[in-house]
Amino acid sequence: MREGKEEKFSSDLISDLYTNLLREIWEIVSALIGEATLTLLFNQAIRKIGEKYPFLNSLRVSEEGLALEEVKRGCRNLPPGEIHRGFQSLINQLSYLFSVLTEGVITKELLPKVLPKVREAERMVSKK
Amino acid sequence: MEFITFKDLDKLRSIINAISTGVEVKGIIDSAGTTLPSLFDFSAFGVLWKEAPTLHLFQEESCPRAFTQEVVKNMLKVFSILGEGPIEMERLTLQVEKKKLRNKQKVMDPEASLKSHLTLPLVIEGEIIGCISINSDQANMYNVPRLQFFSVFGYQMAASLKHIQRFSTVKKEAIYDTLTNLFNRRHFEERLNAETQKAFENESNLSMIMVDIDHFKKVNDTFGHDGGDKVLREIASLLKNSVRQHDTVARYGGEEFALLLPGTPLDPTNMIAERIRRLVENTPFNMGQTQIRVTISLGICNFPIHRMKSKEELVKMADLALYEAKKGGRNRVCIFGGE
Repeated sequence: MREGKEEKFSSDLISDLYTNLLREIWEIVSALIGEATLTLLFNQAIRKIGEKYPFLNSLRVSEEGLALEEVKRGCRNLPPGEIHRGFQSLINQLSYLFSVLTEGVITKELLPKVLPKVREAERMVSKK
Repeated sequence: MEFITFKDLDKLRSIINAISTGVEVKGIIDSAGTTLPSLFDFSAFGVLWKEAPTLHLFQEESCPRAFTQEVVKNMLKVFSILGEGPIEMERLTLQVEKKKLRNKQKVMDPEASLKSHLTLPLVIEGEIIGCISINSDQANMYNVPRLQFFSVFGYQMAASLKHIQRFSTVKKEAIYDTLTNLFNRRHFEERLNAETQKAFENESNLSMIMVDIDHFKKVNDTFGHDGGDKVLREIASLLKNSVRQHDTVARYGGEEFALLLPGTPLDPTNMIAERIRRLVENTPFNMGQTQIRVTISLGICNFPIHRMKSKEELVKMADLALYEAKKGGRNRVCIFGGE
């Protein structure tokens, strides 16, 4: 029972960390390439990664921004490792799309902000 | 770190103005290709337009062939990664325009390869209508401010191209009959106006053929409106393929068609009408399990032979000739006045 509670707690922490990170990515990249293009890229990445991590399909993206509540709710019943891998794959796919379009221009802006948070999530999962 | 200056913003404004005023795809792309070098350093600028599909490339005069191929390959790759599926090279029209973008000292190396690029999808209302790309043979050519400029430019480009796409759809709908894909009555009237004016002024030949499907109501009653529509579409196609490209073929009303043949004297018009009549008579129309035969009646008239003085008179004469063909037993061609 206690273990279940702890796992739930760390699932919440990891989903919070990643959803905040996605918000940050949205803020940075939308200022570079605009909301319409970024929406398209997010939706494309979700479609692809959502096949393996279906909880990501509840992540809603529009030109107004990201709607993260539903995906956060969905994460509550998932093991932290699964959440971490899902979000990490999504961020990797986004980075791949950014590099395909603009080579290093977007990635260079993102990397200093994204990398530390992904490492933090890794630490949290490995501690468990 | 490069900062955006007012001068740069001014250049961007000029580029956007230039592409916003275009009324056709080629014009917009030409404006972009001409104005972009003021803000971006590139060896090739490309616009991939999905609808055609066409890839327009503006590039430095000294751009080697291998570089062009690399740019094309990269743009197609990016477009396919964006989830639009691959565009086959055989289906793609490539339009290359070479311009002097650099001074003499900076002529491109014949061995130059693609070292940096910015490629962005042209997105409008969530739909990708193409992509744009600036490409250079120099490494690390583009940075954050250039990307921001390029994305603003891309948005305007997408909006302008979409506007043209919509405009051409509306234009098409305004002149074509949606069922048969022939010109509609309204466009026919416009063509009639122009052609009669020309013929009356120059005393040149202008013939008109009015066509009506015989017993069309029976086709509709027996095979339903879908069957009737099928016959209309197929006859429309036979008519269109029986005349020259500059002749006008239109759906005049329900099962009635009108043909305008500028520069065609009466005798050849009669031969064309007879050929069409035979063609329809000998064409089997498939209606599910059964095949049916359909015939048509045709009435023709000609300027200057019939000395009409107005376009209304021309139509009336062709109509009267058609009436004669119907009265005479259908499946026949009648010339106005029984000549």
